[in-house]
Amino acid sequence: MNILRASTILDDIAAILSDFHGREYHDPIVRETRFFADLGLASIDAVVLAEMLESHYGQKLPFGEFMADLGRRTDRDIRIGELVDFLNIHLHVD
Amino acid sequence: MPFASIDGRRYHYQRMGQGPDLVFIHGITGDLSIWMLCEALQSLSKAYRVTAYDLRGHGYSDAPPTGYTSADHVVDLFGLMDILEIEHTSIVGHSFGGVIGAHAAVVAPARVDSLVLSDPYFPALRHLEDVSKWGHWQVFCDEARQAGVELSDEHWYDVGRFFDQILHMDGDRLLDLRRAVGLPAVNRLIRLSKTTCGDDTKVPAGLTAEKLHAINVKTLAVYGEFSPFLATADHLVANLPDCRRAIVTGAKHRAPEENPRGFVRILQDFYLGGNHSLIEVGAVA
Repeated sequence: MNILRASTILDDIAAILSDFHGREYHDPIVRETRFFADLGLASIDAVVLAEMLESHYGQKLPFGEFMADLGRRTDRDIRIGELVDFLNIHLHVD
Repeated sequence: MPFASIDGRRYHYQRMGQGPDLVFIHGITGDLSIWMLCEALQSLSKAYRVTAYDLRGHGYSDAPPTGYTSADHVVDLFGLMDILEIEHTSIVGHSFGGVIGAHAAVVAPARVDSLVLSDPYFPALRHLEDVSKWGHWQVFCDEARQAGVELSDEHWYDVGRFFDQILHMDGDRLLDLRRAVGLPAVNRLIRLSKTTCGDDTKVPAGLTAEKLHAINVKTLAVYGEFSPFLATADHLVANLPDCRRAIVTGAKHRAPEENPRGFVRILQDFYLGGNHSLIEVGAVA
């Protein structure tokens, strides 16, 4: 895994979530931050965040797989670090 | 984020795939993400142009203070179809989304090719169910109780009344409840509770039993094995001209969440031409 790029991706996600549709969360966003329990977001927010990330990076990403994985989880929650890892695997390097 | 504007209101939608149109309609307090979480959109988009949208008051769509009957939602549905240039479509609707889909087939039969009704409860068929112990609300209370949250079981499901009961819960208990019953973000519940949605979903709004019985498109009634509305399922099969039934093993009212694989296999059977082994043949007595 490209650690330098993972750090950049985490910064990108944190920047997007810093102004994300009325979200109220004031602690720093780190790899362990939980999408559902900590940020108070719902699965529909994951759909919208996915679109914003595709727009930010200028490429389509297999978020259908990501959502299906989320749907299979009992607690329907996911850590930001898992999203970072997903992006790190699927983002094309120009 | 794709939005359609209908009468000055914004409606959030998602589309994927190519082929004949297939529109997915979620239920009350839900949003379009349920169709991605259960992989219905991903699976059906291999052969269809699938569209899912957030109902008014839900997800990322606007929330007007009134207009939440199935008749109102049908106007939204056809407005969205016009904007997206969908002349006619098959419809998959879950819970109240199924009521909307059926109502659409009554209002404009030529625009609805087929229906999958996932566990709907129809206000006009209320007499079939024990309203005093409305199943959905009982299931909801049971799930909440398992999360350590006691809700009153005196009243049938009502968004406003429900919200009154959870408004003062602390963060941990509310989180447990959200996990147990699959609730969306609380801020959206607050928004919805300020509308007429709760009351509007209880009225037939013109979708009478007689009109339901006249729906002549190919229909599949998909119900959970332990659904509180199996009497409604049997009634639909017995009274609609072309309605069959499929049962989602192990599911209660929310089959797309409770048994997503089983639910999607039934959709695949119906829409992608499987062996139909999951769909019952003939009327259910």
